[in-house]
Amino acid sequence: MGNLVSWARSPWGDSVLTHISWDLFWASLIGGLLFLVAHGGYMLFSQHHKRDSSEVDRMEADRKGLPANVLRHGFVARMFHWVMAFSMLTLLLTAFLPIVGVQFAWVQWHWMAGILLTASIMFHIVHATFVLDFWSIWVGPKDIPEFKAEMMREVGIDAPGPKPGKYPLGNRLYHLAVVVAGLSVIVTGILMMWRVRTGLVERNPYMLTDSTWGITYVVHGLMGVGFVGLVIAHIYFALRPEKLWVTKSMIFGTITRRQYLEHHDPDRWVAESKSGSNVG
Amino acid sequence: MAEQQKPVAPAIPVAPTKPAPGEAPKKLEFRLLGHNYTTPDLVAKVTGKAKYAEDFRAEGMVFIKLMPSPRPHARVISIDASAALAMPGVHGILTAKDLPAPPPPPGPVPAAAAAARPAGTPPGTPAGSPAPQAAAPGGGGAPAAPAPAAGAAPPVAAPTPPPMPPEFALTDEPVYEGEPILAIAADSEELAAEAIDRIVVEFEALPFVIDPLEGMRPGSPDGRTQGNVFVGPSMKTVKWTAADMAMVDAGKFPVNAEATETLTYGDIEKGFAEADLIVERDSQQQTTSHQPLESRSAMAYWQNGKCHINVSTQSLARTVAAVAGWVGIKPEELVLISEYTGGGFGSKIPGSQSIAIPALMSKKLNGRPVMMRISRAEETYIGRVRPGYQGWVKMGFKKDGRITAVDTFIVEASGPYRRQGDHATSANLATLQFQAPNMRFRGLSVATNTPPGTSQRAPGGLQSSVWFEPVVAEAARKLGIDQVAIRRLNAPEGTAQFGLNPPNTPPGRPRNKVTSCFVKECLDKGAEIFGWEARKANSGKRTGSKVRGIGVATGAYTAGSIGVDGLCVLRPDGKLEIHQGIGNLGTHSVVDTARVIAEIANVPWENCEVVWGNTAKGLPWSSIQAGSQTTYAHTRANYATGMDLKKKLTEIAAKDFGGTPEQYDTNAQGVIRKGGGLRLTWAKAAERAIALGGIYDGTEVPKELNAMTKAAAAAHKGRGLMGVARDNLPRDGQTYGFMSGFAEVEVDVETGVWRILEYVGVADVGTVIHPNSLGGQIHGGGIQGIGHVRSQKLVYDPHYGAGLSTRLHHNKPPTILDIPHTLKWAAVELPDPTNPIGAKGIGEPSVGAAAGAVLNALADAIGDGIIRRTPVQPEHIMEALANGGKPAYEPLTAFI
Amino acid sequence: MPPIRDAMSAFELFQPASVGDALGILDRHGADAWVMAGGMDTFDWLKDRIKKPKVVVDLGMVDELRGIKDAAGGLEIGATTTLTTVANNPLVKERFPLLAEAALIVASPQIRNQGTVGGNISQDARCWYYRAGWPCYRAGGNICYADTPTAVNREHAIFNADRCVAVNPSDTAPALVALDAEFVIKRGSAERVVPAREFFIGPGIDITRLTVLQPGDLLTAIRIPATWAGKAHYFEKVRDRMVWDFALVNIAASLNMSGATISDARMVVNGVAAEPYRLDAVEAAIKGRPRDKATAEMAADLAVQGAVPLRHNAYKIPLVKALVKRAIRGEAEWATS
Repeated sequence: MGNLVSWARSPWGDSVLTHISWDLFWASLIGGLLFLVAHGGYMLFSQHHKRDSSEVDRMEADRKGLPANVLRHGFVARMFHWVMAFSMLTLLLTAFLPIVGVQFAWVQWHWMAGILLTASIMFHIVHATFVLDFWSIWVGPKDIPEFKAEMMREVGIDAPGPKPGKYPLGNRLYHLAVVVAGLSVIVTGILMMWRVRTGLVERNPYMLTDSTWGITYVVHGLMGVGFVGLVIAHIYFALRPEKLWVTKSMIFGTITRRQYLEHHDPDRWVAESKSGSNVG
Repeated sequence: MAEQQKPVAPAIPVAPTKPAPGEAPKKLEFRLLGHNYTTPDLVAKVTGKAKYAEDFRAEGMVFIKLMPSPRPHARVISIDASAALAMPGVHGILTAKDLPAPPPPPGPVPAAAAAARPAGTPPGTPAGSPAPQAAAPGGGGAPAAPAPAAGAAPPVAAPTPPPMPPEFALTDEPVYEGEPILAIAADSEELAAEAIDRIVVEFEALPFVIDPLEGMRPGSPDGRTQGNVFVGPSMKTVKWTAADMAMVDAGKFPVNAEATETLTYGDIEKGFAEADLIVERDSQQQTTSHQPLESRSAMAYWQNGKCHINVSTQSLARTVAAVAGWVGIKPEELVLISEYTGGGFGSKIPGSQSIAIPALMSKKLNGRPVMMRISRAEETYIGRVRPGYQGWVKMGFKKDGRITAVDTFIVEASGPYRRQGDHATSANLATLQFQAPNMRFRGLSVATNTPPGTSQRAPGGLQSSVWFEPVVAEAARKLGIDQVAIRRLNAPEGTAQFGLNPPNTPPGRPRNKVTSCFVKECLDKGAEIFGWEARKANSGKRTGSKVRGIGVATGAYTAGSIGVDGLCVLRPDGKLEIHQGIGNLGTHSVVDTARVIAEIANVPWENCEVVWGNTAKGLPWSSIQAGSQTTYAHTRANYATGMDLKKKLTEIAAKDFGGTPEQYDTNAQGVIRKGGGLRLTWAKAAERAIALGGIYDGTEVPKELNAMTKAAAAAHKGRGLMGVARDNLPRDGQTYGFMSGFAEVEVDVETGVWRILEYVGVADVGTVIHPNSLGGQIHGGGIQGIGHVRSQKLVYDPHYGAGLSTRLHHNKPPTILDIPHTLKWAAVELPDPTNPIGAKGIGEPSVGAAAGAVLNALADAIGDGIIRRTPVQPEHIMEALANGGKPAYEPLTAFI
Repeated sequence: MPPIRDAMSAFELFQPASVGDALGILDRHGADAWVMAGGMDTFDWLKDRIKKPKVVVDLGMVDELRGIKDAAGGLEIGATTTLTTVANNPLVKERFPLLAEAALIVASPQIRNQGTVGGNISQDARCWYYRAGWPCYRAGGNICYADTPTAVNREHAIFNADRCVAVNPSDTAPALVALDAEFVIKRGSAERVVPAREFFIGPGIDITRLTVLQPGDLLTAIRIPATWAGKAHYFEKVRDRMVWDFALVNIAASLNMSGATISDARMVVNGVAAEPYRLDAVEAAIKGRPRDKATAEMAADLAVQGAVPLRHNAYKIPLVKALVKRAIRGEAEWATS
């Protein structure tokens, strides 16, 4: 960790962590871009096997009740996504533009965006718990068969085994990473609200010990730079031509019946009509 | 007397005499004393030739750097210095384990005596070390017999906790930030510093206290593991109630909270019942660092079994035992050199513990010279402070201004090591300054993890004037009485009595009294020089945004001790060597008091050489250079010595030329026969003394002399005619000096910025022995008092317990532009009857009068409700005035 | 921790004789180099062992950086001209008494004899937590020790604090901002001229610097245009001691009077923010108004809008108000309170 974090002497002469090295920001940025290039290159040769069109035709015929457009993201979920995206981008820009040399008074924007992010995440947790299919986004041991099958399909083999439900496995793994990093930056970020002037809490910069604060800042920094890579990957996927149908669904809410059948297991994700009623 | 150009008139009394009842004291005239002259050290000082401790260099000398504690209170678990000691050019390490154990404490110490460290006695002295502390007489406001010492602990029924261990030069349990943990010697200071950076010290953090009142909060940490309040030589834990602390939090001092010390005189309830006016207020004054110009650097080496140390100390003779104790050697194994000292202000009375560091390091390095230069930042940590006060004062007055009762509660920030007696001294002085018939003092000496407190020029005396004088001024305004008149009315006079007693003292116990007191004369003379009556027109006078105010105050402090020795040698070359064990701390007393011998024996000053500053030169036992004792003590001792010299001269003449000694006298050339001519030149007399031996050449000396004087006499025996004597002159009472101070200030009411337009200080110091020195002391002490009121402070971060004002400019001592362009001084010049030449000390009485006068002038300008803490910063005034006279500052918070 | 003081670490000393040589050295050593003019700020850092530069570039031998010359009715002042020279220079006193007064009141005579005007405006923050070597924001850490509930922050900021609450300590800086001065900065072979106001930066922009100067930059000269020459000037510094003290608050004002009304104004207070705090609202509001009590009251209220006091420095708000009123009053006699 020698050069990855910075240390300082506390007023009592103890070595305490202060920050991550901002080199890690560049590492995350470059890592994200390298992934992008690597994945882009890979996709040129990818043999990704989606459901055969004949099979889709058959399924479409079997499921006459399906609406032409299947709701993938409800209005509330889409609002959440874009609010979160806005706050996240604001957080990243306010955090990292000064490091790349664009200097401005960023702290106030950063913590305000942080509050927006926190609020949206809290809403999302409640919404996901009580309204959405909470477990549809999580990953666990039960997903191993799907993982195997998807890996096979990735190399062009029409493997048996489960198809993705509502969210593809990659999507769910990404969500997991975002959950871990996001909750970390939020918890550490909320603690930091006691360090800066916000008018929202009674400041107490001495709420934690010097070394605990150091860890707090380092975790916030690590997860923050982590988000640089995560966000690059996310935007990249959103813009990939073969994924645009997903991106569009985050804007308009629905995917076509055919897309639904092509990419998902209708048994694992029971489609809803736009009105929200089940039409399985 | 025919050959005497200027007769001494009136003749010097052969022994102290009391003026006959009703006889007005009169100024004494002398040939040398009372006249300005150039002291022999002056040219070296102003030309830079004077060598202070850090100016010495020796072949092969190495340098020390100290590792300061990063924490305000901790325990050292381990020290790993291997990487440091492996560096080329690094020679050694010294830690607390290398320091000698202190000598066993002396027999049981009476609680009262132990509790009362008389102000002005040496600080930083390990308990039980052969320090001057024990012998210090007549400390400020805490006199010894017959009344019990001030600040005595109340009778304690419970078993007394063990005495606190002494302070050492290096420690394994630092109790304040910056306290030295270890020392490294290397080829250069830079290298030593680099080496210390490589030392790994593991600490166990311990709780700490910065603001004394925070240390009183229930459940709050104690400043020491043994407790939070010093009680006598021990400690205990005392916490106030939640209700008391709620008052503190509301900015109000809890007057009924628990105190560990109580002293009384008379009946305060009766006193307040008799009062027509009662004035009370919360008050606070700050802790200030001594900040002498010269830091406490020292250089040491060992040669022929003796430890030679160049030090910065106030006293010289009285530093020997303390340093020998710290180094762990016998006093006779020590050669102490301190020809010049750049001030100490009470922080170097017997030197300081840190002197032991280069001495012990040198011993480890086989005697190699070791220099320890103390930086300004280090001086701020280890250089001692004056304890700050938080508390309350209440005074009752009759309509005519007479004080009927005084009640006060003072919480003192003692620092981490010892009880400080300042608060009790202030109370005792109040009984003297204001002659209150009824008084009560309650106090706490709270341990704080800040630099160790010790006596600072007028310890308790400065604070007394700052504490009580503004209350008197407010009362005078409320009663419509002239400020000078109310002070004249309450002033002590003659052999005024004073002092407080522990509770339950049997009635009828005699009180202390002073040997002389001319406060009224000081007030009258000051009022005249200041033009008090005419300046009253300036009181409250507004010009644009500026308003003026005038103020007067008094100050008092101890001014003399007794029982020390003098030594001189009249050499065959006709020169008189006057040996002085006094430190050359910047007051000129080392030379000024030497002149008494020349005066008595009629030796021309040009024939005299003063020998001082090096114990190898053979110096007589002396008083400590503290408590303003020196002038009084050594004019007496040197009077006795001069008389001894003169007696021996006349005896030799009688032996050689017949008749009785009484038929002989001296003049500028030597011994004369009364009514006849010269019989013995100075040179011839010296030759005859050598030939006669015995008492004449120092072979035999009086048994009553101190061992140090005897050793000095032994070293110089046979070199000429030796005058040597102990001061056995009688004294009835305690000797105190007094001051009146007058000030005019101008306050800009829009910004709160204020300046002093005029200051006049008038001293009651008895006979003036050197006018220029006296002026220097009146002004110097006055400026120090002004600094206390104006700007000087010590600031601590309470979260880390870390010093913030570590640089001199953060300490804000007064600058030359912060005082009036012209300062005026005078003395009433009425002799003290217990001193044969009539002199008393002045170094400390001068401080409080100036501080009080300036504070009173400020209140005169802006009103009585605003100033409740010192230093009086511009915003204290500005905000209050912008806020209808209501102060906005935090009234009780310390170290801000 | 109280580190060891007064034992300066070794460095390589360069004493170039020309600006070109100095720039060359700075270019070669980049961030390792420390520019030293009078040394008044430098030696605090070096002797306290908090900054340990590898290379020190002493500008004391560069004659071309010293001196005061006429520049089309304004003045160009070399960066290493001493404060004493600035305070005593007849041209400065005649045209810009504001600057002469500000220079004359800096620190002490000894410091003014040694300290330079360039150094005075470029000096680092004097916050005692920062100067103690504590790892605060300004030192690259993640806390402001001066802005905590228990901190002793009497000397700290009331305006525009952003995490760090240190203030700009300079006396000449507000005067130069009030005179619309420009600072000439050289770097390698390039030169840029930065308006005084842009030269100073707050913690929001860069929490580790008080000015735009970066490693490799050399402040060479200060240009004061003729704009404010001979106009009404006012400077006042409030401090604890009359010598050797930084301002609690100081004010520099230049007013252009047309008849009895103010036609244009610059008003800058220092000691209240990390940069000399220009009172834009006051400047705009007093235009076209007389220098009277009503104007002063209005200006004072405007001046302190947005002030956020800390535990021990709320007095700075009424003090700024008082100084603004006094600046508008000038030498007139009416009382402001």
